[in-house]
Amino acid sequence: MTDESSRTVISAKGLTRTYQLGDSEVIGISQIDLDIAAGELVVLKGNSGSGKSTLLSLLAGLDRPTGGELMVARHDLNHASDIQLTQFRRQVVGMVFQSFNLLPTLNALENVCLPALLAGKSLVETRPKAMELLRWLEIEDRLHHLPAQLSGGEMQRTAIARALINDPAIILADEPTGNLDSRNGQIVMDLLAELNRKWNRTVLIATHSTLADQMASVRMGLKDGMITSFA
Amino acid sequence: MAEDTDGYLAVTGPCHQTFPKDHGAHPGYRIEWWYYTGNLLAESGDRYGFQLTFFRNQMSPSNAVKAWPRPSSAWRTQQILAGHAAISDLNKNKHRHAEQLARESLGMAGIAQQASETTVFIKDWSATIGANSHTLKARTAEFAFDLKLQPAKPPVLHGQGGYSRKGSTAERASCYYSLTRLKTTGTLRIDGKVVSVEGLSWMDHEYSSASLEADIVGWDWFSLQLSDQTELMLYLLRKENGELIPASSGTFVNRAGISQHLTREDFRITALKRWKSPHSGAVYPVAWRLTILPLAIELSIVANFTDQEMRTAASTGVIYWEGSVSATGSVGERPVKADGYVELTGYATDYRAPL
Amino acid sequence: MKMLLFFLRLFIWFSLRNMRRHMGRAATVLFGIALGAAVFTSVRLSVNASLDSFSKSMDLIAGQADHVLTRPGGYVPENLMATLLNQEIMQSASPVMSTYTRVSQADAEPFLLIGFDPILDRPMRQWRVDDQSGQQGAAWLDLLKEPYTLILGKPLAHQLKLAPGDSLILEHARQKVRFKISGMLEPNGLALAESGRIAITDIATFQEFTGLFGKVDRIDLKLVSSATSKDLAAVEQLLPEGIQLNPPTATRESGQMMIRAYQLNLSILSFASLFVGMFLVYSLVALNAASRRHELAVLRATGASAYHIFFIFLAEGAFLGIVGWLVAIPLGHILIKYLLHGVSQTISTLFVRVQVDALSLSVYEIVFSFFVTVGISVLAAYQPAREAMQVPPKEALEISQLGMQARISPRQLAFGGLGCILLVVPLSKLPAILGMPLPGYLAIFLLFVGFALLAPWALVKISHILSSILLKRFGIPAYLAGRYVRDSGTRTAVSVGALITAVALFTALVIMIFSFRQTVAYWTYETIKGDLFLTSKMGQINRFRYPVPQPVIDHLQNYRSQVDLLPNRQFFLTYDKFPYVFELMDMQGYMQYASFFWLKGDPDKIRPMLKGGEGVVVSEVFSNRTGLSVGDFFEAQIEESYVKLQILGIVRDYRTQGGAVFYSLPHFNKRYHPVYWGGLRFFFKDRSQDLDAAVARLRTDIIDRLGDRVDMYSGKGLRGAVLRIFDETFAVTTVLLLIALLIAGLGIATTLSVLVLQRSRQLNTLFALGASFRQIRSMIFWEAAFLVVIGELAGVICGFILSYLLIYVVNRQSFGWTFIYAVDWDALLLSIPLIIITALAAALPAVKMVFRRPPATLLRER
Repeated sequence: MTDESSRTVISAKGLTRTYQLGDSEVIGISQIDLDIAAGELVVLKGNSGSGKSTLLSLLAGLDRPTGGELMVARHDLNHASDIQLTQFRRQVVGMVFQSFNLLPTLNALENVCLPALLAGKSLVETRPKAMELLRWLEIEDRLHHLPAQLSGGEMQRTAIARALINDPAIILADEPTGNLDSRNGQIVMDLLAELNRKWNRTVLIATHSTLADQMASVRMGLKDGMITSFA
Repeated sequence: MAEDTDGYLAVTGPCHQTFPKDHGAHPGYRIEWWYYTGNLLAESGDRYGFQLTFFRNQMSPSNAVKAWPRPSSAWRTQQILAGHAAISDLNKNKHRHAEQLARESLGMAGIAQQASETTVFIKDWSATIGANSHTLKARTAEFAFDLKLQPAKPPVLHGQGGYSRKGSTAERASCYYSLTRLKTTGTLRIDGKVVSVEGLSWMDHEYSSASLEADIVGWDWFSLQLSDQTELMLYLLRKENGELIPASSGTFVNRAGISQHLTREDFRITALKRWKSPHSGAVYPVAWRLTILPLAIELSIVANFTDQEMRTAASTGVIYWEGSVSATGSVGERPVKADGYVELTGYATDYRAPL
Repeated sequence: MKMLLFFLRLFIWFSLRNMRRHMGRAATVLFGIALGAAVFTSVRLSVNASLDSFSKSMDLIAGQADHVLTRPGGYVPENLMATLLNQEIMQSASPVMSTYTRVSQADAEPFLLIGFDPILDRPMRQWRVDDQSGQQGAAWLDLLKEPYTLILGKPLAHQLKLAPGDSLILEHARQKVRFKISGMLEPNGLALAESGRIAITDIATFQEFTGLFGKVDRIDLKLVSSATSKDLAAVEQLLPEGIQLNPPTATRESGQMMIRAYQLNLSILSFASLFVGMFLVYSLVALNAASRRHELAVLRATGASAYHIFFIFLAEGAFLGIVGWLVAIPLGHILIKYLLHGVSQTISTLFVRVQVDALSLSVYEIVFSFFVTVGISVLAAYQPAREAMQVPPKEALEISQLGMQARISPRQLAFGGLGCILLVVPLSKLPAILGMPLPGYLAIFLLFVGFALLAPWALVKISHILSSILLKRFGIPAYLAGRYVRDSGTRTAVSVGALITAVALFTALVIMIFSFRQTVAYWTYETIKGDLFLTSKMGQINRFRYPVPQPVIDHLQNYRSQVDLLPNRQFFLTYDKFPYVFELMDMQGYMQYASFFWLKGDPDKIRPMLKGGEGVVVSEVFSNRTGLSVGDFFEAQIEESYVKLQILGIVRDYRTQGGAVFYSLPHFNKRYHPVYWGGLRFFFKDRSQDLDAAVARLRTDIIDRLGDRVDMYSGKGLRGAVLRIFDETFAVTTVLLLIALLIAGLGIATTLSVLVLQRSRQLNTLFALGASFRQIRSMIFWEAAFLVVIGELAGVICGFILSYLLIYVVNRQSFGWTFIYAVDWDALLLSIPLIIITALAAALPAVKMVFRRPPATLLRER
């Protein structure tokens, strides 16, 4: 991470995503230009409908832009095939969701291991790392519990572990504290900050909570699909 | 002579066979056979032995016919005919044999006499005995022969007027005559090749109702045609311990066709060599020293090759050895050679009856 | 390997655990598919057992023969034997005669007596006398030596409780005779034919027993391997007129052909159960795909590819198929016990005599049933799997669950369905392929698919029309139910499709069986006329190959004053492997009392021509199978005569062992050659008397005068027997039908339960809005009623179309006959409401399930 180009991990130019709803066109985001360097902690703010989720899903390779250009960790997401997008999701980004999105039939450990298995690793090589992550997240005593048996905080910590299992360069979090009480919310935010500081991950948190404000290195405001502030 | 044993005719005294009548069948007797053997020479110098035998077996006494359903089926018969045929290829030491079995009905097999001609046949195998010649025909996938045999001497009646004792009592006997010197010409087909041959054959015709005595395990039969235009027939009835019973005997036929009966006391015979069949496990003698005391005949007889075993599972079920032999020796001071056939029964299993 | 292991793990984590969580649903579907697979497999195995037993018997009896000499309808002269045996190319030749005979005692079962020359036969057939003493020769030699001796198959000896040395009295057309048992057959080779219910005897004894002197049924030939077709032609030159030289497989093939046609029909029928099971698999996999949509999005977001998802759902189908197939094994085990007997009984009465004592487990059939079961399950999962792989990963970010949106509108589906149904018309006009009505079956399949595709559209349309009426008449629950069904899209349509299929099958078969039975009944009463029928002893089972004894005929002349005697003679022949009977009868007399069941041709014109021996009438089956029709010439070798006669008309005929051709007996005698009487029927001249009593009197009198020398059947009894056989035949069909209905019921039960479970949130909302438990349960019940009634209605309509296909396409192509279309309204009007009630009963568990869990817990869950 020495030269300029490698330090820029997310780069967008005129990034646009519109949806066709019946006869009308709905704008998700429009003409967004963005450059984020590696190792930043970005907090993305905006009300619901501001385009936060749309931007996040584009950055996560869950969706494709309808216009503009988007490079994430040297992956051209405009022109990626389905298979390349799947590879991108496996290797480059880790996602943390508001509603945790753990698979209900898998226990905590299995949920954490899943992305590594999907990426072609064996359970034997994945397990120690998953255990380590869960220990770090202080939920090693809940390994064999199904999501339904976990508390919200435990579920979100499991989800964070899952996001980290493939060593992604970027962590994307979508309202990670939205379904948590304030104590658990703070814990989750602290964890994300720690990821950024200690582990040197680029972290992007979409939230309207103020919990993250003081730890952000970049603050970004979004309204009606456009950037309103960037600092 | 026509005495009953179990409802069959019995042979108890001289048979006085007359010809051509007695070339034909003798129903009423339990078993009967026509036996042809011979040694043949092809133009190429290759030598062959052959055998063609027809057996007639009556399954039930003649009066059983009275109990038959009426009307009776054309298939209904008391007689079953079996046939054995073999060719011994003396050059390649290869023995081939085949067999036939059929009931005497619907023209599939039988013994027919018409005027002076007698035909014994099973399917397409036949022996036709005419006034001046016999014709033998047999055909199998492997080999075939078509031979014409002309008697050089009249029939010889063995024993007393054809009455041949085969045991200790009078009815342990058969009616038995031979044609000892049949000049033979014809063709053989072997390995798909047809060869013209000529040589000498021997014919036996024998019938009886008696089974062998309980202590007899089998017999050895010799027929030899000597180079001095005489012939010799010998049959040895063996006991379990190898001893021959007193009824064992033979016949010598001189150049003029006059026969002389040989009793047990007239000959000495010793087996010199034995051979174990790889097929049946039976051990057969295959070389002999024979002495006929009253005729000063000394012969050393040897099988032309060993494996001439007949295994007839599909017809008579009997395993026996029937093979071409050669002999050298002397009659008095004169050296003599002979060709012939030997039949050895009861080495594989006890030989009781052809069926 | 690693890939596979991973995929397996993913499947267990994601799918299996989910199925375990919803055990009830999975178990129901498994049971359904298992039942389908069990029916399918056991039906095929049962028919196979009969087919096997038949083919094996035929092979064992045919032995090593590579050619066989026969005279159609007659016998081969035995004096050919010597000529044949003397042919150089003849390796062996063996004459064979066989007949069914039985021990002379009440209720004795017939068995097969084979007569041959044990000597000539040895190279031909494998049989050995069971003999501990090793005296192999003795027993078979006895056959030759002693008249009236036989050797019994061991099973037969055991059934008769007889041993070698015992004797038994056998009866046959000509006489009763005491036989001595000289041995038993070792249980291999020929001894296995007819499941061991055979006996062998010498050909001489056989002829003396049956009176067939001078001739044999056939002569089996085995030629040397080097024989050429030229050699064969040379042998044919030696044969007298009318003797045919054929491969021995001809009779076997015609028998196999008939059994196979039957197998195909039963297979298709049993496949219906599997087909309905397929709907079940579809509904479960589709439900999983829809209800777990959000999980799929998450899976995708965490790195699963679309193909991962696709294969997971295919694997769900495969899993259901595999487990269903495994569960089918014990189920099939139970079913097969019933079917094995039923099927072999049917085949014996309908086509060829078979003796089945054990199931032969064919690896092919097992593998086949496995692949069919798993195959249709995977096929059923295909569409849901395709849908599942389309789920975009970004839905992982969205909290709301939209549920699966149908990508194809009901209208589009309906067009597809209509297309399928329209295709039925041309398909039904196509001819059979390889003697099998494959286009017909395809038409049936398309009909089912078509109706299933029409179902969603029909649901929308009908509920739309009904909803206002429902609101007015039955209140809000019925209205809501109608609206829900309207909007529920393709999911409910699937179980409606299953119901349509089952109901359609039911309706069609009720109509077909009824039409069939009505027609057969009419045929029976019109054509099988006669007050008393007489044949030689065991004439029926021996196909009238033995004449009515002359003394019997002579005696019967005494009754001429009271009765008309109509002699007949039947020849069992084949026309290009197709079996038929050539029946000679006294047309003049016949038409005085009875009539043909005319199908084609002008009866008034044909009748005098038939009486005058100017031509023949042929059965519909014969015409369909041979392609010969009115005006064509019927040609056949019959015994020593070559017969060529014009076809005057076509009549319906429902004898099951092939076709029939009828001609005048006196004219045959005059034109061709005189034939013996195989049987005759009596008509009382005085029709006003008590005919039952007269028949009984006549019968007693014949027995008093002639003794037990002939078989007699009263016309009434015979006609009853025909219809009884008919009913027994369809017993198997009925069982299969009921199972299909049962599986459809399972489908309804699962669908409704799933609908309830899926909508707990919606139902709770209704509850919060003030709906009572009663109202909500009533709504669910109305939904059930909606689905069931619509399914039934569509099913009945589909069933009527199907019944046409069955009668005029499938039956015509596989059996050659059609019937007069008749609808059993009574049965339908009674059973259809019954099915509705049963299906509604299947909905009860779903209704009960509403609010089994407290509403509060449902609200908390998402």
